[in-house]
Amino acid sequence: MRILILGAGAIGGYVGGRLHQSGADVTFLVRPARREALQRDGLVIKSTKGDITQTVKTVLAGTDGGPYDVVLLTCKAYDLDSAIEAIAPAVGPNTTVVPLLNGMRHIDILAAKFGDAKIVGGLARVGVALSPEGVILHTSPFAAISFGERDGKPARKALAELDAAVKKTGIDGGLHQNIIQDSWDKWIMLCSLASMCCLMRGTSGDILEADEGQAIMLETVEECRKVAAAAGCDPGEKGMANVRSFLTQKGSRFAASMLHDLEKASMVEADHVVGDMIARARKAGIAAPNLRMAYAHLQVYLARRARGGIGKPAL
Amino acid sequence: MKILILGAGAVGGYWGARLHQAGVDVTFLLREKRAETVRRGGLVVKSPKGDAVVPVKVVTRGEEGGPYDVVILACKAYDLDSAIAAIAPAVGPDTTIVPMLNGHAHFATLDARFGAARVAGGLARISGMLGPNGEILNSGGSGVSFGERDGKPARPALVALDAACRKAGIDGGLNPDINQDLWDKWVMLGTIATMCAAMRGTVGDIVAAEDGAALMRETLEECCRVAAANGHAPNAKVRASLEAGLTQPGSKAVASILGDMEKGGAVEARSIVGDMLARARKAGLPAPNLRFAYAHLQAYEARRARER
Repeated sequence: MRILILGAGAIGGYVGGRLHQSGADVTFLVRPARREALQRDGLVIKSTKGDITQTVKTVLAGTDGGPYDVVLLTCKAYDLDSAIEAIAPAVGPNTTVVPLLNGMRHIDILAAKFGDAKIVGGLARVGVALSPEGVILHTSPFAAISFGERDGKPARKALAELDAAVKKTGIDGGLHQNIIQDSWDKWIMLCSLASMCCLMRGTSGDILEADEGQAIMLETVEECRKVAAAAGCDPGEKGMANVRSFLTQKGSRFAASMLHDLEKASMVEADHVVGDMIARARKAGIAAPNLRMAYAHLQVYLARRARGGIGKPAL
Repeated sequence: MKILILGAGAVGGYWGARLHQAGVDVTFLLREKRAETVRRGGLVVKSPKGDAVVPVKVVTRGEEGGPYDVVILACKAYDLDSAIAAIAPAVGPDTTIVPMLNGHAHFATLDARFGAARVAGGLARISGMLGPNGEILNSGGSGVSFGERDGKPARPALVALDAACRKAGIDGGLNPDINQDLWDKWVMLGTIATMCAAMRGTVGDIVAAEDGAALMRETLEECCRVAAANGHAPNAKVRASLEAGLTQPGSKAVASILGDMEKGGAVEARSIVGDMLARARKAGLPAPNLRFAYAHLQAYEARRARER
């Protein structure tokens, strides 16, 4: 099985690097500057699960070496359009596209572009970042990906093979029987945490120090749960109990990566993670005042960033 | 008339410097470090209304002198307790205290300590900040407002202070309805502080968000309803002018609390936002935006304490 990975950034670099390390046939589709760096330095992973530097296969265009059996899409949501353009030549009639993005909005966009049947569901749970030097820094104790058929039917051959390849890497997860539910579970957690950490500009522990921090956090989780339930994907009491207890741990230093992005003046997946949740809430007639406030905060950030006002005094 | 001013920041420093220039008998009560700077180099004022280096009289704790006819309290709300301790020796039976703090919460504390009769109402519309070397960077606004809180004719000390302000080119002065003015300012400040803090941007940045102007109007409504519940709703003209200013596209206006946050400084969270929220609750009024902003400010304070 031949796998193409778009980009060798944080998630793509980590997952692709581990697949390559365990013998899978992996090719990275990258830009010229990244290719040069990878040829010079190799793909460098520094990880809680072991460091490694490897020589990896790279191509500059999707036409090279394609079509592939599996294309792993690990871009940020705001880069989706250019990512689609980049992978299009690599997608043949029998290619399966596995997007590992946050949220849900990309699924419809990808299905419209490549055809429903080629697009499966997928997500990543890896705490990983790309250093300015291009090193993949995996800092979380966990590393998992999850993928599967969106209609819940038995997995196609490519996914079964991908599952076998992932099992060899030490990355947890793999093939999931109900990937849509899993995607909602992750989105509820991510959207709640990102909304609150950004709106309050602090860790979950900082937020819980405010008189009404916990109440506001739990309201936000509930807004997201209702949106999921309207889509037929309520995580249920046990799933929600996990989310709630994780987000209400006193003294927690945990913050959404989106907060780190804000504080670095970087681009953020505001529309994809928060905006789309609000759009679905509105469509289903669900009130989402906390998400609305958080989304306004993110839009204000983007407006200030666009005028070059981040990092300069507000006064 | 002898005036003591506690604090030589953007408000007290500017006002006192102009009074001194106009020949008024002004003394500053300052902390050691600030006292030393001002004694050495005078009060340095940079303002569209004229730059100046003003050699003012400075005392520190233990050498207050007094009693004074007027004590102007120009500290931040979070420094109120230490400010009260500092001015107490300078306050005599006939002294009038003019607090220039934001909000309303300080009145109960001052009344309890000095008796309501000695505490007048006051507020500043002096815009500016302190520069890195303690210089007063005034951005042009230079108004003050003070008066009797019970609405009765002003006592002689306030009349004299009014005359001194006129001589010094300070706008405003004696206000026959200082309580309304205090509420009008608090409504404005409560709204802009709530939004600039919770959104971390200027008015222009906020209005650029899809729901930004709507959130600003909702917040203004929350504050106006609290003012109304306290018998001091802003009149239609004031409200319209507030709303226009707070929803102006491209506006660079920003609450000073955001500047404080971005410098990692202390913030007047409780007096400007927290107390407005508490009064909304007491009156049974919904105030969701004030609630978000107060949580934001408290999370900021928790993080500030953690990271220091």
